[in-house]
This record gives sequence, structure tokens and C-alpha cells, in this order.
Amino acid sequence: MSSSRLTPITARVAWVFQEENFDVDRIIGVANIKETDAKRLQELAMRDFDPAFSTRVAPGDVLVGGPNFGYGHPHMPPMQAMRLLGISAIVADSFAPAYWNSEISLGFPQVVCPGISRSCRAGDRIRIDFDALTVQLEQAQVLRITPYTERDRQVLACGSFVAYLAQRQRT
Amino acid sequence: MGSTLVEKILARCASRLSVRAGDEIEARPDFMLAYELRGYTDALEREMAVLGRAQVSRPERFAVFIDHRVPAKRPEDEAFHQHTRGWTAQQGITLFERKGIGHQVALEEGYAVPGAFAIHFDGHVSQLGALGTLTMASRALLLQAAVEEKVTLCVPPTTRLVLTGSLRPGVMARDVLHHLLALHGPRFAAGHALEIDGPGVEALSLEALQCICGLGEFTGAIATIVLPTPRLRAMALGLPQRLALEPETSDPDATYAATAEIDLSDVVPMLALPPSPARIATVQALAGTPLDAGYLGSCASGRLEDLRTAATILAGQQLPPGFSLHVVPTSQRIMVQAAADGTLAALAAAGAFISSPSCDFCSGNIATLAPHQNAISTGTLNVPGRMGAVDANIYLASAATLAASALHGKIVDPRGQGSSH
Repeated sequence: MSSSRLTPITARVAWVFQEENFDVDRIIGVANIKETDAKRLQELAMRDFDPAFSTRVAPGDVLVGGPNFGYGHPHMPPMQAMRLLGISAIVADSFAPAYWNSEISLGFPQVVCPGISRSCRAGDRIRIDFDALTVQLEQAQVLRITPYTERDRQVLACGSFVAYLAQRQRT
Repeated sequence: MGSTLVEKILARCASRLSVRAGDEIEARPDFMLAYELRGYTDALEREMAVLGRAQVSRPERFAVFIDHRVPAKRPEDEAFHQHTRGWTAQQGITLFERKGIGHQVALEEGYAVPGAFAIHFDGHVSQLGALGTLTMASRALLLQAAVEEKVTLCVPPTTRLVLTGSLRPGVMARDVLHHLLALHGPRFAAGHALEIDGPGVEALSLEALQCICGLGEFTGAIATIVLPTPRLRAMALGLPQRLALEPETSDPDATYAATAEIDLSDVVPMLALPPSPARIATVQALAGTPLDAGYLGSCASGRLEDLRTAATILAGQQLPPGFSLHVVPTSQRIMVQAAADGTLAALAAAGAFISSPSCDFCSGNIATLAPHQNAISTGTLNVPGRMGAVDANIYLASAATLAASALHGKIVDPRGQGSSH
């Protein structure tokens, strides 16, 4: 299987979670963690952080996280809500492994970029280049990103882990 | 350059002479394990169907455990169990039902083979690491193993934890895990395999090592494994081993990403505070916090050592009025032993409510908490809503701290409370 190229992402930062070990369940609130309705999930997203978030977020925006983003016992609905709102990627200083595996398997780009949470603010524009392994920030600042394993790169290029396995069956 | 035990196990499974941390490999796991749960085992079936696969690879190496929603309290739960019985029979997968919590049953039934490699989707399977079994938890890898026999993974770096000394009375394995988190935080072994070694290993029971390994994911570790000692190998051989492997261990010149040491005699009773397993405090600092309920059980605790420790503290005593204590032995085998030696009688006489093994107490499907109640638990997690109401508070503790606290209806340091541990 040949290496697949990942398209660069140029996007606005919709939110920066600066705290370490951020539990993503808080994005919709643990009381709503079993919610499955798409419209309701979008309404709930970030309500405890910014009640106007769902009206201000634009398709293609990214979220920025701090160290060990996704720690705890993450459920899927919070990030499902974020995908429904059009969030195109999460860029964080580092990720909790279980969260990482789960979201990468769904084909949702997660980008390891040490230092990112202290280097940008909501509203900034950034450019993620998966070939140059960089995140370009405003004021021409550039941070390095940690390369994907070949498997994770293929999974993201295919769109999901199931699609990756399907491609392996064909080749 | 030498290899770690994890590198040796993965090299064997990848049919290579050696692998190094960072290598991307295709490895053939020895065992595929799963518990039955809606959204997991049925998703595996659906995803296999999408991939045009009707039959799992190597069903003789596959085991499914019915340990959630047991006993069923809704018709649809029993219908799902019926479906799983039929599916596993049709696939030729070994099914364990009403034997106990799967991770413990897996050890009892011979899947904890020193040097073996097992895949599950639940992180607490890492307790098999107590006997030197490498485990990794990933829904994706389980699916890949089901359709391809192999899994694609990156060999993790290994972080080494050296244990010395021995535990003081009133201190248990759960406290060691909390001590580790308090010292090094929840990123201590992030993305790494956590290897446990040192003379302190010999001062810990197999059950204690299961507790520490089973909770290894809270350090960020993707695998937790004890270097098997002759004692542990002998214990493994006392179980019905499903595989015979050459003894392996890490080489003296193996490369580690980091090394930390814990003197077990430095460990004091500790708790994980709500709302995160990473929020640690000493029991002394929280002493006096009022409690409404307690849960002694789960794949983390609830084994004979835990039950006997609690029974020693509660024997001849009575729980305070209104305090509910649920005691759930981790497996049927443990329940039989605890019944035979009088442990369960002592707990029941003190007012504890004894139930058969099930995961449902740990995850709030039964014995649920009301808003603003405080519980002390030996379960795996204390995130909001884990045991019922999202604004109930769960304090995670050892069986000794739990029993001493239950007796007084408030958080109490177990040292000097009759515990022999």
C-alpha cells in the first residue's frame, strides 16, 4: 500500500482548551453523554464554555488542546458533536492514547503539536502541513508536528479504520 | 543492544528476530478477548459484514465474556445475551458466561500466559500483565485481528517502574497506583508500555499486581506488564495455560524511555477524588468526609485479598444505619472461596449486601447513586455519572480504606482498624 498524502488544513481556531488532561466529555456535559440526536448534540456543544459557540463556529474550524487532551473515560458523542459542527481537526500539545485511537479510527484528524496551546488564541488562523510537519501560526511563527505512524496516516487518508481495512483487502 | 520484554513478545508475534520501539509492525496476537456489550460486540459483527467477512479468524483463539448487564434487568438485555450465545456458537468462539468479570476469568481460564500477546477493546485487560502477558486495548485492533489475523501497530517505548520494599499494614496495591499517579501524574507513561520490576514485586501478591496492572491506563500506558519472576511463572503454571511459550524477560541492557522507583514502604493510604482518577489525595487529608454508600468489587478489586481485608475490619461490627455497602466478588471462583472460608458470612453479618459477579455495579447500572450522594468505591472509575447521578461523588480507594470508611460512614484511615494488610 503506498503512502497517502494528507491535504493541508488552513483554518480558524474556534477554541483553545489550555488545561492539562482535558476530559472531552465536558464538551457536551456528562449529563448528556448518551445523547444521540444530531441537532441536540450541536446545541449542547460547548454550552458550559461559550453559549454562543454553535452559532460562531464555522465549517473547517479547528480546536486546540493542551497536554494529554482526552484523558479520562472519553465517550464518542462530544467529538461527534464537533464533527457535526464542522470542526476539521484537533491540534493539541499531546493526546491521551485511548482518545487518540478512538478518534483516529473514525478518521477525525488529531494533530500532535507540542506548544500549540500556549501559542495561539481563539480566532487565530493556522495552517497544518502534514508533509512539512509544521503548523504555521500568525506572526509567521512555526511549530513542529509529530509525524503520524504510517498506519494512522493511511487510516486518515482512507477516512476511517474500516475503510483502511477495506483498502488493504483490495491491495 | 538488548530488548525489553515487550519488544521480545512483539518480535515473536511479528515473526522477526527483533523489533525496536518506534518500529511499525504487523503482529499476530495470541488471543483475542472481548466482553459482550452493545456498541462493541455487535459493532464488531457489523464492521466485519461491511468488510465482507462472515467468520472471525482463528476462532479458537477468540473468547467472549458475558459480564455486563448480568443479571439482565430488561428483556432487550437478555435478548442481546441470547444473540451473543448464538453468534459465538456459530463462530466457534469460546464463551464464558456467569463466571465473573471477564478480565479475572481470562486469568483463571488460562489466557494470562507469560510472554503471550492479547488484544481486547477494554483497557483494564492490562491486569493480565501481572503474569507477564502483554495486552493492548483497541477496538480497531480487535477488528483487524478478526479479519486479518494480524494487527498493525507501532512498538511502544517502555517506561520502567522499579518497586522496592514492602507495603506497610493498612496499605494495599490500590494505594501504590495512586501513589504513582500522585508522584508522576497521569502522563507518566503516556503512549508507552509500563514495565514493572524490582524486588518489591516479590513482596506483592498476584492479586495486588493484577490491581496495579489493571489500572495502568491511568498513567497513560498502553500496556502494563510485570517481568515474570519464578514465583509468578509457577503461579501461571498452576492455572490452565492455553499456550506454552519459552520464558522471556527484559535484557539487562534493554533501552528504556524512562525509569522510576517506588519504595512500597513509603506508600500510605490514598484516594482518587472526584471527578478524575488522576486527582489524588491521602486518606488522612480527606478523613471525615461523609459517605452514603460503598462498593467493594470490580475487575480492579473484589478478589479474595480485598474481601478478606474488608472482612477483617468489619467482622463483628455493624455498618451505620442507612449506609449501603455492596460487595461483589470479581468471579464465581472467588465467590465460592470467600463463601467457604467465612469471609462472605462476616461481611453479610456486618450488613453488607453480597451480589454475584457483574460489571454493572462499577458502571452504575445497578446500585445507582442519587444526586449529591458520596460513595467510596474500589471500582475502576470515578468520572461524573459513573455510578448513577452525574453530581454524585465517587472516591476510589483500597478495600481496606473502603471497609474502615464504611464502618464509620465517613472517610477513615484504615491503619490500625484491624486490617492485617
